[in-house]
Amino acid sequence: MLSQRNLALILIAPGLALVAALFLYPLGFSLVSAFTRDGSFTLEWFAKAFELYSTDIVFTVVIVLASCALTALAAIVIAGTLTLGENRFIVGTLKALYRWPLFIPFIVAAQCMRTFLAKNGLMNNTFVSLGLMEPLQAVSFLDWRGIIATFVWKQTPFVALLLAGALASIDRATLEAGRNLGASRVRVLLELALPQVMPTLLVALVLSFVTMLSVLSVPMMVSGSQPTMLTVDMAFRINAYGDYATANALGVITYLISAGAAILYLRRGLSQEAPR
Amino acid sequence: MRILTIACSLAALMAASPLSAQTLNVASAGDQNMVDYVKDYLGPMFEKAHPGVKVVSVGTGAGDSGSQKIFEKLDAQKGAAAADFDVVVIHQKAAGTMVKDGLLNKYTGNVETAKLATGEATKNALGSDVTGYVIPMFQSQTALAYNADMVKTPPATFAELAEWARKNPKQFGYNGIKGGMSGVSFVAGWVYAFGGDADKLIKGPYDAATKTTWDKAFADLKEFNRNAVITPGNAGTLDMLNRGEIAIGPVWVDMFYSWQADGKLPPNMKLKLVSPGMPGQPMYYAVPEKSAQKKLAEAFIALATSPQVQADGIVKKFNWYPGIDAKNLEGKLDKAAWDKLFTDVTPADLAKNGKAFPIAPYFNDILEGYEKKVSN
Repeated sequence: MLSQRNLALILIAPGLALVAALFLYPLGFSLVSAFTRDGSFTLEWFAKAFELYSTDIVFTVVIVLASCALTALAAIVIAGTLTLGENRFIVGTLKALYRWPLFIPFIVAAQCMRTFLAKNGLMNNTFVSLGLMEPLQAVSFLDWRGIIATFVWKQTPFVALLLAGALASIDRATLEAGRNLGASRVRVLLELALPQVMPTLLVALVLSFVTMLSVLSVPMMVSGSQPTMLTVDMAFRINAYGDYATANALGVITYLISAGAAILYLRRGLSQEAPR
Repeated sequence: MRILTIACSLAALMAASPLSAQTLNVASAGDQNMVDYVKDYLGPMFEKAHPGVKVVSVGTGAGDSGSQKIFEKLDAQKGAAAADFDVVVIHQKAAGTMVKDGLLNKYTGNVETAKLATGEATKNALGSDVTGYVIPMFQSQTALAYNADMVKTPPATFAELAEWARKNPKQFGYNGIKGGMSGVSFVAGWVYAFGGDADKLIKGPYDAATKTTWDKAFADLKEFNRNAVITPGNAGTLDMLNRGEIAIGPVWVDMFYSWQADGKLPPNMKLKLVSPGMPGQPMYYAVPEKSAQKKLAEAFIALATSPQVQADGIVKKFNWYPGIDAKNLEGKLDKAAWDKLFTDVTPADLAKNGKAFPIAPYFNDILEGYEKKVSN
């Protein structure tokens, strides 16, 4: 007879094998290739990565952080309205609409933004025809602003979905108490509700951070290539030069950036666990 | 037990089926239109002439990266009995590497139409000798597209263009070097114009010290970029021209005419091939060394490079310049279709200013120099 423990191991074996073959092996391979030349240790690929792409590294971090901040803001507004809103029409409409971007792939979103945010695109043309803007004032948002707009538009529903779920499950009594004592709804949201769901918000943001860090289509399609995000540089290193070593070095730098986010998250998680 | 029997016979059937029906696998690097060209046009034509043969067309992606994928697949299958691909359509840069690595078959001696293609590109791919391994599918060329309503007298040289862009800030747009080959071509043209000896970059031999002489050209390009718009990709440049957001930008001639034919570009757009010239490049038909269907592959390429197919498919359908020598198309093509290709860029322009890309090591030096000195 198999013991419970062995049975469990057999059950998860296919999954583990998949992770090992499709994630751990390539990860190890790319680490090795980033640090070696002809079998011996070297840092020259990193030197090259920094020499050519230092601007892009900073650019990537700034874009992703800014997108995360704006996503958090938008998600808090949406989730807050959904849980604390009192106008049934607004809440109903928002509920029906806010999840839509979740179902749209990044590449489609990028293509839509390309025609929407262009200088003579849909957005500016609408403003002009509404008389809100002169045609000459129109500027193109197809640069870093376009990337941020696409990311925020695409990630907000994901964060809002998790956040609204968490907000709905907290004890209504505290919120009601706050309201009864005369606190405004904004204050109840910021001082009573949000602190209770902070861990959920943080998880959602860390996941969004990692997702945005890995998207290739959006920076490629929405903005020009100078400066650009690291994914584009990695693709370019491989496509133009067949240079996997520098691409892997850039990959390791990306791992480190996302590891930074993970560490922030873990430290917070641990310090919360500690007092219990 | 019964299930086992069924499974075994199914497996046997699957293993046996390739023997009864022949499949010709054609892999194309390049845009979707090239995959469709094989799938919708060449494939059915070939299947009709060769009953029992099925042509399967796969695309590996646009630009040099598509060719890189084909290279990696063939390289990985070096030790295997047969490669997955029977015919490959590849860019120049990859063709040189593949010939050097012994991944391609020296087949053109067995194909009659190979004699119709005698241009430099049949022998030399960015400095590598590819004689016998390739036949061009088509030639394409980059040129500056401009909005004739906004630009009355288009610049005729790179120097004039730089001056024009300084006076008209944000009216010139190109896609840098990471968003497609029209931008790469513009940068190569810039180095040809301001970097010194263009002929040496195209013909070689390679001298690693040459790249140090480009510093001023790159510094000027960085300055030039301040007044230029970096567009998102080849299609991005055309998009912006179409919306009137920029007045001039480098484009592929075939894409330009196809977009115009589809009504995606206004008729007031024109082309100009500025001096000292911008690069163009062919796509090649090649046969992998390990192809299981060499005879069939040769027959397929013979059909694809026959004058009639070159006239109807390549020139008329896609506005590409033919891969075989143009004189062989006489009588196969009506004058209107031919003239359309040469309205803005005349044969004389093409002969004088249609350049090849630099040989591979200089090519890499230019790209890397751009990354180092212009975009970072």
